[in-house]
Amino acid sequence: MSLARKGRWITLVGLVCLAGVYVRALAFTPVERLQGPAQKIFYLHVPAALWTEAAMVLVGLAGIFYLFLRDPRLDRFAAASAEVGTVFATIVLTTGPIWGKPVWGTWWTWDARLTSTLFLFFLYVGYLLVRGAVRDPGLRARYAAVLGICGLCLVPFIHLSVFLFRTLHPQPIIVKPSAPSLPGSMLATWLFSLAAFTLLYVGFVTQRYALSLAREAQHGEHADHA
Amino acid sequence: MGSTPIMPDVPRNAAYMVAAYIVTAVILLAYALSLYRRTAKP
Repeated sequence: MSLARKGRWITLVGLVCLAGVYVRALAFTPVERLQGPAQKIFYLHVPAALWTEAAMVLVGLAGIFYLFLRDPRLDRFAAASAEVGTVFATIVLTTGPIWGKPVWGTWWTWDARLTSTLFLFFLYVGYLLVRGAVRDPGLRARYAAVLGICGLCLVPFIHLSVFLFRTLHPQPIIVKPSAPSLPGSMLATWLFSLAAFTLLYVGFVTQRYALSLAREAQHGEHADHA
Repeated sequence: MGSTPIMPDVPRNAAYMVAAYIVTAVILLAYALSLYRRTAKP
């Protein structure tokens, strides 16, 4: 089975799981009393946010290893992870304001968490623009690796921003040193959603990696990564 | 005389939830379709 085909199957399983998350979240998970039904945006917003950050961490790590090893597979993986991270960041930046309006009373506020997440999105877009603008494969990979490492440095700041600054954005209720402060049924739905987003990330990255391979073969791009 | 605790009404904001779920589905399906089309090209 080809890599693209494997990616398609994983994506399909991820989409089916996501459909299951929709059913479970909307029909079988209790409504939070203070925030109302809008709280259920949490089951999509937080897993997407975690994978937005994780994707950039992986882009940065691949960049660091690429600069030492000059292995084109690392560059291909970083490109794939960045594109998928951009998609997940778009979900975070659209579902966040939709959740914020009924709960905070505003679509957007320039607090540390929101602003740094927007900056991460721009970094992702910049990363993809750089990759599209530089034709030389070796140079493109090196520029992209440096941008990826910048993104890697930004991620801990985003995660800790709610502790370092006074923000409207709440502090983590799951990814924190102590036990999750969430009822079991809500936690189960969230974990199910995290599994679906993980499958989608793996499926998308596998397909995108296969696409890079096919393009390189098509253009006869014997990447000069030395 | 016993008093019953007053429970706040649950906010009626399901429209925001529906909007967020639709937006997420559209973004993910659009990207999945885009990847499918790009990888299916000979």
